[in-house]
Amino acid sequence: MTANRLEFATSHSTQFVDITDRIRDEVKSAGLRNGRVHLQSLHTTLGLAVNENEPLLLRDFQTLLERVAPAGAGYEHDDFTRRLDIRIDEPVNGHAHCRQLLLSGFATLLVEDGVLVLGRWQSVFAVELDGPRHRQIAIQLDGDFARADRREMQESLIEVELTRQLMVDPEPVAAPMRRLVEAGGKRIRPKLVQLTAAVGPRSDQLRATELAAAVELLHNATLIHDDYVDESTHRRGRPTVAAAEGPERAIAVGDYYFAKATRLIAEIGNPGVTSALAEALEAICASQIDDVALRGSYPGDRESYMRVIRGKTASLFAAACASGAMLSEAEPDVVGALRRYGDLLGTAFQMADDLVDFSPSSGKPVGLDIRQRVLSLPLIYAAEDRVVGPEVRRLLAGSLGDAEVGRVAELVTASDALPRVRKEAQALIDEAVRELEAIELDGLRPTLIGLARSAVDRIS
Amino acid sequence: MIQQTLDRELDRLHDLWSDGLSDTYRAYLDHVQRFAPEVQQRLALAAALIEVGVRLQGLGGRAAPPTTLLMGDLCLARGSRLLADSAPLAVQVAFARAIESVSSAAASEQPAPATRVLLQQSLEAAR
Repeated sequence: MTANRLEFATSHSTQFVDITDRIRDEVKSAGLRNGRVHLQSLHTTLGLAVNENEPLLLRDFQTLLERVAPAGAGYEHDDFTRRLDIRIDEPVNGHAHCRQLLLSGFATLLVEDGVLVLGRWQSVFAVELDGPRHRQIAIQLDGDFARADRREMQESLIEVELTRQLMVDPEPVAAPMRRLVEAGGKRIRPKLVQLTAAVGPRSDQLRATELAAAVELLHNATLIHDDYVDESTHRRGRPTVAAAEGPERAIAVGDYYFAKATRLIAEIGNPGVTSALAEALEAICASQIDDVALRGSYPGDRESYMRVIRGKTASLFAAACASGAMLSEAEPDVVGALRRYGDLLGTAFQMADDLVDFSPSSGKPVGLDIRQRVLSLPLIYAAEDRVVGPEVRRLLAGSLGDAEVGRVAELVTASDALPRVRKEAQALIDEAVRELEAIELDGLRPTLIGLARSAVDRIS
Repeated sequence: MIQQTLDRELDRLHDLWSDGLSDTYRAYLDHVQRFAPEVQQRLALAAALIEVGVRLQGLGGRAAPPTTLLMGDLCLARGSRLLADSAPLAVQVAFARAIESVSSAAASEQPAPATRVLLQQSLEAAR
C-alpha cells in the first residue's frame, strides 16, 4: 500500500478540477499493476465526482448546484451570532457545505494491468465549492506493485557506475574515494539526475546514470576538501580522508575527482549540462569561502545563512535537476521549474540537516555543528531569542568544550528555534512541490514529491 | 590591460591578479591565438586560474591552510566554468586530464609534470 496527498490550488469559487492525470501519475509512479486507488477529500467544501470533462456540461453541473443550494439563501450556518468559537475570517459558506452533501467526499477507482480503469468519457474531478483555496486529497493505492524493482534497479545502476569509474583510477586516489563512496550517503543528487532525465522526450537511462555518477563524484570531491577545512575527523561513520591520510592526500584526491567528474560531464557532450554543473561548482566554492569568513561573527544572521546554503547545498541540487532535464531535452519551462524545485529542495534539505544536529536519535553526536562552528539556522534563531539568546551568544563567544556545547544544545532545544526551522523547511518543500504542478512530468510527479517530503520527514 | 569583460571574472580574485595571476595569464596568451578572438582572453584566464589554483592549494607539496585551499578551489572552479562556457569539448577534456595527471602524481608522491606545460598542451588539443 502507498499513501500520498494530491495538493492543488483553486482559482474560482466553484471549479471542477480534473485530477485524472494526477491519479494516473500516482499509479504509474507507484508501479501499481492491479488494485485500487482510494481518494478522500480532506475538506468539507470539496467534493469528488466522476463524470465527463465537457465545458458546457460542467457549467450545467455548476448551475444545478447553484439552483439546489443557492448562495446567501439564509443558511443557519452563516448566522455567526448563534455560533460558538468562530474565527475572525470565518467564511460565509453554508451553501458550499450543502452542495458538498450532494457530491461525495470519497471515491475508489480500479487499476488493471497498470492502467486506471475509466470509461471512455469518464474523468475524475475534485469539485471546489468554496474557492479559491489550497486543497488536499488523500490518496492510497493498494494491490500488486511492480515498480519497486525498477527503482531498485535505478539505484543499483548508480552504484555499479560509481564502482566502474573507481576501478579504472590509480589506487592512491581511488582507494580513499572508494571508502567514502562505500560508506554510504543518501545519493539524493544522483537520484535527482536520474529522475529528471526521464522527463523529456529523449530519455536515456544509461547516459543519465553516467551523469548521475559524475555528479556524485563531484559532490564527494567537495566533501573531501570541506572535511579538511572543517577539521572533521569522521564522515559517514568513517575517518575522513584528511584525518586518515593527511591533508596533502585529501587535496590531491579532491582535485583528481573534481577534474574527473568535470571530464565525465563534458564527455556527455551537452553544453547546457556542462555549464549548469560548472556554475554550481563555482557557487559551492564561493559559498564555502563565505561560510568560513562568517565564522568570525558566529552564529551569523539568517540572510547570510541563506546566501551560503543556497550556494553550498542548493546550487548542486538545482543543477542536478536542471541537467537531468536538459539531458532528456525537456522543454525550457520544465527545466526551469525543476531547477527551482531543486533549489528549494536543497535549501530545505540543509535546514533539515541542521536540525539533525540537535536530535539524539539521529545516530550522530549531538552538537557537532556547534563544536565545529558550522553555520546553523537553529543556532541563529536561538541566538536571536529574547530569553535564551544572551546565554547562547555568550557561550558561543568563548571556547566550546563538552559542557558548553551541551548547554548550547539544551538552550536551542528549549527555545522555539527547532520548530521554527522545521516549519520553514516544510514551507520550502511545499513551494518546491508547487513548482511541479504546472509542468508535464510523465508520471514522475509523485516520486519527486515523495523525495522532497522525505528530505524534511527525517526531522519530523 | 585586461578587458572589462574579464574584470567580472575576477570577482573575489582581484588580489590574486596583482599577485602573479596577471603574469600567468600573459604566459598563456600566445597559446590561445588559434581560437576565436572573443574567447581568447577567457581561455587564457581559465588556464591561468587553474595553474594558480593548484599552486595555491599546495598540490604536490605542503598542504595550504584551509582559507588558501578554498581560494585555490575557487580558482579551479572558475577556470572550469570559463572552459565550459568557451572552450571546445576536446580542450575541456584535455584540461581535466591534465589536472587528473597532476593530482594523481601528487597522491602517489611521484614527481608531477609541470602544470603550465600540461595546460599549454591542452590548449593545443584537437588542433
